Amino acid sequence: MNGKQQADNQSIRRVTIRIHRAKPMPDHAGAPSGRHRSNPFATDHGPAGPGRRQRLKRWTQDYLLDARPEDTLLDLLLTIKREQDPGLAFRYSCGHGMCGSDGAAVNGKPALLCEATVADCQAYTQAAPFRPTGTGSERRPSPGHLDQPGPFHDPAQLSQDHLLVELGPLPGFPVLRDLIVDTTLMFDAIDQIHPWLQPGPADGALDAEGAATNPKGGPGSLEVRQTKDQLAAYEQLSDCIDCGLCEAACPIWSGGEAFIGPAALVAAARFIHDSRDDRAIQRLEDLGGEDGLSACQSIRACSRPCPRGIDVGETIWDLIERSHHPQQPSHL
Amino acid sequence: MGPAHIKTGYDVVIVGAGAAGLSTALGLLDAAGSGAKPSVLVISKLQPLRSHTGSAEGGIAASLGNEEQDDWRWHYYDTVKGGDWLVDQDAAKLLARQARSTVIGLEHAGVAFSRREDGRISQRRFGGHTADFGGRPVKRAAYAADRIGHRILSSLWQQCLKRGVTFADEWYVTDLVLSATGTSVEGLVALDENTGTVHTIRARALALCTGGAGRLFHTTSNSWDLTGDGMALALDAGLALEDAELIQFHPTGLGHTGILLSEAARGEGGVLRNADGDPFMHRYAPRHGDLAARDVISRSIAAEVDQGRGVTDPGDPDGPRDCVWLDLRGISAQVMHARLPQVDETIRRYAGLNPGHDLVPVKPTAHYMMGGIPIDTDGHVLSWQGGQAQVVDGLYAAGECSCVGVHGANRLGGNSLLDACLFGRRAGSDAYRFVTMPAAGGGSHNHELLDQRAGRRRQDVTDLLARAGKKVEDPGEDGDRRDSTVPAPEDGNPYRLAEQLGRLMDRTLAVRCEAEGISSALNRLDHELDPAADRLHPHDPSPVWNQELTAVFETRSLLRLARAALQASLERKESRGSFKRLDYPHRDDDNYLRHSLVNRTGHIGWSPVHIEDFPPGSRRY
Repeated sequence: MNGKQQADNQSIRRVTIRIHRAKPMPDHAGAPSGRHRSNPFATDHGPAGPGRRQRLKRWTQDYLLDARPEDTLLDLLLTIKREQDPGLAFRYSCGHGMCGSDGAAVNGKPALLCEATVADCQAYTQAAPFRPTGTGSERRPSPGHLDQPGPFHDPAQLSQDHLLVELGPLPGFPVLRDLIVDTTLMFDAIDQIHPWLQPGPADGALDAEGAATNPKGGPGSLEVRQTKDQLAAYEQLSDCIDCGLCEAACPIWSGGEAFIGPAALVAAARFIHDSRDDRAIQRLEDLGGEDGLSACQSIRACSRPCPRGIDVGETIWDLIERSHHPQQPSHL
Repeated sequence: MGPAHIKTGYDVVIVGAGAAGLSTALGLLDAAGSGAKPSVLVISKLQPLRSHTGSAEGGIAASLGNEEQDDWRWHYYDTVKGGDWLVDQDAAKLLARQARSTVIGLEHAGVAFSRREDGRISQRRFGGHTADFGGRPVKRAAYAADRIGHRILSSLWQQCLKRGVTFADEWYVTDLVLSATGTSVEGLVALDENTGTVHTIRARALALCTGGAGRLFHTTSNSWDLTGDGMALALDAGLALEDAELIQFHPTGLGHTGILLSEAARGEGGVLRNADGDPFMHRYAPRHGDLAARDVISRSIAAEVDQGRGVTDPGDPDGPRDCVWLDLRGISAQVMHARLPQVDETIRRYAGLNPGHDLVPVKPTAHYMMGGIPIDTDGHVLSWQGGQAQVVDGLYAAGECSCVGVHGANRLGGNSLLDACLFGRRAGSDAYRFVTMPAAGGGSHNHELLDQRAGRRRQDVTDLLARAGKKVEDPGEDGDRRDSTVPAPEDGNPYRLAEQLGRLMDRTLAVRCEAEGISSALNRLDHELDPAADRLHPHDPSPVWNQELTAVFETRSLLRLARAALQASLERKESRGSFKRLDYPHRDDDNYLRHSLVNRTGHIGWSPVHIEDFPPGSRRY
């Protein structure tokens, strides 16, 4: 942001939102088909094919609307729902970057729809040549029923006051409909690392009135004590909102390789670095499988999109180093 | 976590997966201890981590005394006074007394609380938290930077994973089914959004933990999902809502977004100014100025706006002049960066303004519903018939969708997370007792009612999808060509209708109201919005992940709830706490020191306030 922003606020610009859409094909029987799978892991979840029993119809669609620089892409999509196409499907909830539900590929890069503004997208198109997200077969001309289907594939053709923003589902996740993806694989991987605090035997319980004492906390105290430094060791990791942007950015995970994924590794690191958790060594050992830490190739693409500012790549690298010396978790 | 493994019946079904719902599940399983676990399903329209609990920022109140001497009795008193004496004191006493064990329990569950030098949980000051029954301010809000909600939600979810709780994510509950007499639970009917199919789920006990209804208003701090679904389910089941008119507005929502700008912005020197540039708060609250209580500031902003000294929200240049300026220009860049990073980021990102140079438009934003489904302190939902409360066997509620009576007419900061976690656990605990009783209830065990309701709902869904147009054939290789039989996007569009309702409610009930406006809004519901609701439909016939179907149900919920809130507002002819009637500007203990009860038809009843220790006094700070 610079000093011109007060003036920019008044500047409404035309924006084309180009969306890579997808919709389940009707079943032959005409009845809606379930998502039931005998084995949820049997799916090829690479971007080349969703691998679902439900076949998807895919196409791109352009929506033309007026926007201000500070409008978020979520604002624009909600406007589309109200004014142009209520059937467009995308998850959203809190609208300010806390719930983690509205990840998408924005001009090819993972981002939260509620955080990416029109101004951000403008900076992007000015800084870099337009980079399509889809595969060749998806790059068909738009269907032509819209009021102004435009040949906007080349950013050089965009006039000063017309912006093209291309949206697609988060790469690497199976698409369910439009921008809605199946997050089951991510959450199953997180569940696999046992993402709950496993305190040592000394951390006692308490009765309903909170009357018990806690040996670690000392007399008269109930909470397990933790110094500011001990908190700092994992505090930012606990801010993870499980939005999946790091997973989408990771070429290994989104490429469909057998890899537990950066989100689950961040979840594991959160407990490995928590002084209250007693299982750091075991947790590191559990990440030793072929689809664990060793599947990470330290590309570090996972760090860049994190909306909570977690350096995911560094966090994983730290785990890799520790796994070579598992006897020394950080807080011991 | 997918829907494939969802069974057709459970001992306990919990609707909603925020702090209240997850606490209910944990309370239930902890009560079972090492014994046989009842089967439990948590059904939610969101994946649990997306719940709005995650947006809570400030803290959770408990008299831990980590920072300075504190006493649960002081917390009890502050809660009663903050609620302008419309607080049920038995419930508030429990809340204050068990706050400590609740917060310690959360710490043991893994919550990353901020820490003092001595390693104990940090606590900060909040408006209305005092020592010695209204004396000096006290640090009582246990916090975790400005992200307490997210950390509590994460830890509760993690504990549920540990215990193997079954979740049905992204299922929307359409019907709460009670027995024919309305005295016990049969189960519920739900739409699986993943497939668009309608299911019945039998339950011996059922807990509604669906959160608030901030989306009644256009300007709200609440997430898009806070559409009052649980409250609407209760209304539909023939139950009444308690204190539906009592809604808290936070004074400084950012312009057109409603996103909260923390009170800390004024604590660090921010000043509210009107259209003339004049700082006005000292005229309304000479002692506290810009740091007066939330409801006082919200009303002062409304008064400036009503007198024509408001400014236009730059995000809605043709809209009403219903904002004032928040002037943060006097705050140095260093202080902004060090103490108000979230405020700074929110203004830059969502208003495109630089708070160091620009005035920031703010307006009061709908924040919290004090009222809700009436419950007792064990979470039992109460059915009021002829002035008598009766427990609905097996039906529970907790959190913002419920009303246990601890918030009265104005919620004290830090008490919402506490309410949800504490009374959620209590509800779960009692539900365990209920389902393990030898002659456990669970309705008539005759599933006819449930099947009937499911049949009706399936027909409803079929009809709605049929109105999406006749375009059921393969859309063709060239994509989704618009067919002439498909209705125009503005016809029957649930997102549009919800927005119209929000703007009407903003105008009518936000911060203040009076009889004429309420009557005119009710009239508009009768003649315009309710009939429009009957015409809502999706615009695409494909049932899988048809978000519009859910939006139709949510908009119907909001309309039922709007009617209830308007009717209850009309009948409370006084001003108390967050509730301001311009035509009845004073508190009236003789006639209205009681809870309102409104049912689906708009009929109003009243129930007494439980007063045990503190007789009504004046609410001055």
